Amino acid sequence: MIQFCTLLRLNAAALFGLSLVAVAAPAPQHIDVQKVSTTVENVVVPRPDEVFGALNKLGGVNWKEYVRTDRNSNFTERPRIALLLGSVIADGFIAVQAEDTPAVKEIGQRVQSLAERINVKSSITQHAKAIIEGADKKKWDNVRRELDRTQNSVQEAMNELHDQKLSQLVSLGGWLRGTEILTAVVTKNYKTEGAELLHQPDLLGHFEAQLNDMPEFKTQTPLIDQIHGALTEVKPLIATPQKISPEAVRKINEITTRLDSAIVTKQ
Amino acid sequence: MNGCFGLVSRRSLFVVPLLAVIAIARASVDDAQSFALQAAEPYVKEGFQVREDYWGGDLGAGEKKAVRQQLFKGNEYWFWLGTEVDRAKVSVHIYDSEGKLAEETDSWQKGHFAAAHIIPKSTGSYFIIVAVEDSPEERTHWALVYGFR
Repeated sequence: MIQFCTLLRLNAAALFGLSLVAVAAPAPQHIDVQKVSTTVENVVVPRPDEVFGALNKLGGVNWKEYVRTDRNSNFTERPRIALLLGSVIADGFIAVQAEDTPAVKEIGQRVQSLAERINVKSSITQHAKAIIEGADKKKWDNVRRELDRTQNSVQEAMNELHDQKLSQLVSLGGWLRGTEILTAVVTKNYKTEGAELLHQPDLLGHFEAQLNDMPEFKTQTPLIDQIHGALTEVKPLIATPQKISPEAVRKINEITTRLDSAIVTKQ
Repeated sequence: MNGCFGLVSRRSLFVVPLLAVIAIARASVDDAQSFALQAAEPYVKEGFQVREDYWGGDLGAGEKKAVRQQLFKGNEYWFWLGTEVDRAKVSVHIYDSEGKLAEETDSWQKGHFAAAHIIPKSTGSYFIIVAVEDSPEERTHWALVYGFR
C-alpha cells in the first residue's frame, strides 16, 4: 500500500512536471519589432571577452601581442578615472586571453588603486584578491568571472553613490579598448566574419545617448566631448547593411587607438 | 540593465517610506535573480560563462517586456528567466532584428523557470521577450540572466 501510494505520488509529480512543459504556448514565429522597440529595456554592454571569444574561433590570435600593463597616469578627474578603469578591466580580459599571469596580477592591483581613487575600493577588494589568486593558479575562467564581478561591483557602488554617469563611463572605456583590440586583430588578418563582429550600431547609439546626457562632464573633461565626436565618426562605418570593409576596420582602429591613448595619457 | 530601481531610489533620496518599498521590491528582484541563476547552474558545467549583470523588474499576468541585446556570431548564448513566485508561469523567446523567431528548438519553459538558446547567424541586436504568462500575484518579479561560450 505504501509502495502504491509512493508510486502514485511519483506518477502525479511526473505528470505535473510533464504538463508544465506541455502547456508551454508556442512562441509566435514573428513579432512586430517597431512595436517592441518602444518598450525595450536597456542595451547591455557585452563583456570584452564575448567579442574576443568569437574572434578566437576564427583563427589563432596572438593575444600576448596585445597585453598592456603600463598605465601610470595620475588623473584626478573622476570621469577620466572611470574611463581608465573600464579600459584597464578590458586589459585584464586581454591578459586572460593571453594567459599572462604577471600581467593579470598587475592589472588586478591597478584596478584596486583606481577604484580607491574614486572611493569604491571596498566593493572590489575581494574580487581583486580572487583575480590575483586565479592568475596564480591559472584558473582563467575564474579570473574572467572575477573581472566581470569587479566591473559589476564598481558600477553598483557608483550607482549607490549616485554616480551613474561615471558607471556608464566605465563601460564605455572598456568598450573602446575592446574595439581597439578587435579592429587591430582584424586589420592584421582581415576576414569578413571578423569585421562583422563590429556590427554594433545599437550599442553605439546607446553610448551616444548616454554621452548626450553628460554636458557637465564635457565641460570638465574635454576628452568626453572628443569621444562623443569620434563615435559619430564610427557610426556610419559599422551601421552599414553591407560588409564592413578592411578600410572601415582600419579607420575604426585609428579612431579607437587615438581615444584609448588619450584615456591613458595625462594631457 | 538592473538600473530601474537605482533610478527610482536616486529621485527619492529623502523619501524614507518609498525607499523601504524599493528595498523590498529590489529584494524580490534579487530573489528572482537567484532563481534565474539556479536555472543557469547546469550550463556552467558545460562551459557557459554567466554574466554578473542582469535585467529585472515586475510584470502582471499576461504582460511582456522586451530586452535588446548585442550578440556575436561565433558564440552560443542561453538566456535564463526566473521568478520567486513558484506558481507563476514565465516564458522567454529570442527574435532577430527583423522580428523573426531565432532561438534553437531546445529552448524550454518549466513553471517559474524558462530558458532560450541561440546560436546567432549574424552579429547584431536581438530582442529577448520575457513574459509572465500566468501568476497568482498581481505583480510578479522576474530576472533574466545570460551566459555565453
